[in-house]
Amino acid sequence: MLQVNAIEKYYGSKNNVTKALDRISFHVAEGEFIAIMGASGSGKTTLLNCISTIDTVSAGHILLNGEDISELPPARLARFRREKLGFVFQDFNLLDTLTVEENIGLALTINHVNPHLVRDKVQDVSMRLGIDDILSKFPYQISGGQKQRAACARAMVAGQSLILADEPTGALDSRASKNLLEIMSKMHQEMHATILMVTHDAYSAGYATRVLFLKDGRLFNELLRGARSRSVFYHEILDVLGLLGGDISDVS
Amino acid sequence: MYLKLSLRNARRQAGDYLVYFVTVVLSAALVHAFNGLVFSEELRSLSSFMESLPAFIIFTSAMVVCVIGWLIQYITVFMLSRRSRELGTYILIGLENNQVARMFFLENLITGGIALLAGLLLGNLIFQVLRAITLSLFHAPYTFSLALSPRATALTFVYFAIIYLLALRKSRKRIRTMKIHDLIYYEKQNEAELVKKSRNRRRLFAAAVLSGIVGMLLLLTGSLSLCLIGTGLLVFFLYGFFLSFSSGVPAWFDKRPVRKYTSHTLLVFRTLCAKLTTMGLTMATIALLFTVTLVSEGTGMLFGTLFENRVEGSTCFDIFLGSVASENLEAEFEEETHPTGEPNFARSGLEPYLEYIRQEIPLRASMQYDIYRGESLQVTDYIQGNAEYYGYYKYDPLMACSDYTALRAMLGYDPVTLESGQYIIHCMPYLKNIMEDYEQPVSVDGTVLTPGAVFTEHFTQKLWDGNGRGFVLVVPDECLASRPVSHSIYAAMTVEPLTQAQDDRLREIHEYQQGGSAGLNSFTTGDYTLMTRTSLEREYASTSACTIFPLYYLALVLTMVSATILTVQQLSESVRYRRQFSLLGKLGMDKREMETALRRQFTIYYAMPALPPLLISVPFLWNMGHAFEPGTINGPWHLAEILGITLGLFFLIYFVYILIAYGNLKKNVLG
Repeated sequence: MLQVNAIEKYYGSKNNVTKALDRISFHVAEGEFIAIMGASGSGKTTLLNCISTIDTVSAGHILLNGEDISELPPARLARFRREKLGFVFQDFNLLDTLTVEENIGLALTINHVNPHLVRDKVQDVSMRLGIDDILSKFPYQISGGQKQRAACARAMVAGQSLILADEPTGALDSRASKNLLEIMSKMHQEMHATILMVTHDAYSAGYATRVLFLKDGRLFNELLRGARSRSVFYHEILDVLGLLGGDISDVS
Repeated sequence: MYLKLSLRNARRQAGDYLVYFVTVVLSAALVHAFNGLVFSEELRSLSSFMESLPAFIIFTSAMVVCVIGWLIQYITVFMLSRRSRELGTYILIGLENNQVARMFFLENLITGGIALLAGLLLGNLIFQVLRAITLSLFHAPYTFSLALSPRATALTFVYFAIIYLLALRKSRKRIRTMKIHDLIYYEKQNEAELVKKSRNRRRLFAAAVLSGIVGMLLLLTGSLSLCLIGTGLLVFFLYGFFLSFSSGVPAWFDKRPVRKYTSHTLLVFRTLCAKLTTMGLTMATIALLFTVTLVSEGTGMLFGTLFENRVEGSTCFDIFLGSVASENLEAEFEEETHPTGEPNFARSGLEPYLEYIRQEIPLRASMQYDIYRGESLQVTDYIQGNAEYYGYYKYDPLMACSDYTALRAMLGYDPVTLESGQYIIHCMPYLKNIMEDYEQPVSVDGTVLTPGAVFTEHFTQKLWDGNGRGFVLVVPDECLASRPVSHSIYAAMTVEPLTQAQDDRLREIHEYQQGGSAGLNSFTTGDYTLMTRTSLEREYASTSACTIFPLYYLALVLTMVSATILTVQQLSESVRYRRQFSLLGKLGMDKREMETALRRQFTIYYAMPALPPLLISVPFLWNMGHAFEPGTINGPWHLAEILGITLGLFFLIYFVYILIAYGNLKKNVLG
């Protein structure tokens, strides 16, 4: 579904160039739940931004369903983002002036979905994510976990094929984090959503089916969960992180 | 060190709040310029009518100062909330509350002082413009001089000192008593909602809309007591509407989800509701001020038209003397029946005027003539049935054709000829259409005459002793041989406009002759009316200066102050909007759509406080235009033109602020 081919990303001016991504390549199959891990500054978020077309690559290609998104003209990028990608951010990024229902429905109105269908679609996805009882509330009236579930609902309500999550548990307590990760697992298993999640939390990464490790902008390692239990997979992730040389804070 | 920091902050403040700063400078300039009018001996000496000008200006200035005070108070509190984190940080690093309060006080005083200074300089120039306009109204010579009364400067200074000290004292007290935590998190505090429960807000919304409709209907009744009740209801409507809008409209959209999720409606109405939730009271006050602005400007325009019309329409002659057509004089004039003969004016007591005029005033032309009584009221009845017309005579007034052609020649109008067996109708312009439709013959002393041409040049037809009231029928001289005289007139055109001294002398003779005072506005005493173009122009100039100037002054300041608050509020939201539109971009909204959404959001934000005032003031002014004496407003197009100019003036100033705000916002949010 997603093919990342030797992408590179440079920042800075002529005299001070920083290489944020260095010839990274990987492939994501439909229905996969992939976590990208790495220490601060390893290039996780840059990679996610390049895939989400918020940032551009300096070299290489990114193909989604065979379409090279690194060569899309700016006018088509917005359309591509709203039709194909769903976003879940660390700080939720819900609009505080809109109710939960309206925040989810916003993704549909941006996609020019028939207004008659909006409420039903929102109702449907929110029931599946267990937030149908808070649809009339404003973001300031609900908890962080509920906000993040609302963000997940917004990310998939328009039938987006790839959900990109940037540290989705970063602003949640452990209970809300667990709850959210279970919801994301459910989205992956029951609704067959393809999820690409950036995290530096090994516990969160344990919910994924595959983990990619980045170090200094390069792909350092890859772990496949296979048939292993989450706890075994979690410990394997910690081992790799140990090899990566990250701080203790990075393995929380 | 504090002074240095205060100076630096003051400079930054002037940059961040440039729109506000410019408005304070302009407001100070206007206040100062009008104070100049208050203390100007030169302008007051132009006419005795001008004695009351200072009272009008000071009364208006009191209102203006209150409004500027509200602006400065509002923006000071607003700046305090926006800078509270910075002020809290000063305390955090060891400054005392008192020192921070003093610093805030000082920097605001510095910006205020600079604004006042700039305002005083600019005010001198604006005063020159006002002076030039006033002098030109009185046809007095204008010479440029920058000297302005020190008393005017002192009064402006006192006004602004009071405003700033009151506004800053409150903020100073607030900073002195606030804790670090309060200051750091002050920005996050929202303006409290006055009506807390959503259900109550919805009820209030319905009640407000209802009272708006009822209030408007009462206002249009024309009855003073009902108008007052209507005004009260409209004020309730404005406050109720803006305080409850944030609940009423979402509730409406909740029942109509399809509309809500169509295009950008969701984003636009929610952003607006959020803004109104926190600044409903401010929006309502701005709407009220806009209503006052539009009514002031419109009233100014209408009164301007009325005064101008009085000068133009009262007399087309440089000197007009007319005897009053009344029952008492009937016998006196009955003998004077010959249309082309010399009416005995000396017996009527006009000789003293004529003697003075003959000796002192060079004339280009003059004439003495009579207006006669028609046999019936048929034309008057026709007009009363088809137009607004206040009848006076108990007969249709008639004029001899020879007098008419001579008068036209005297006034420089095109010559006309009266066809045999016809009569000419000379009427005020507003009656032209209905008089052209009049087809009935008129009988004068046994001669039946059919309607001929209709003429509408100014012909002194407003008063009861002019060339008819609203209209006169011009008939062949021979028809009037045995008609009784209605009243007699002396009209003259001078070589040069009458000087003030000549005009005063004529008025003195007039007062002496009639044994009483001629009063301020009425030129009629006893049995005769004296009107001179000079007197009318002086009256027009004085009433304009005393009423139109203050109304425009008030309107200008109200528009600027209100638009400034809206603009500062809007620009302060730049960061939040940038975050919002950045998210929308990430979610896939393309730039063009974002621009459209921002533009709509912006348009509705600025239209909201202007729309209710438009709905209130336009029908009100329309109604007021119709209440003036017939002929003042020459048809609906004339009134529409006046309203158009009123709205144009208002929106011209408003659009300047809107364009500044939109340019900045677009650059900050989507740039």
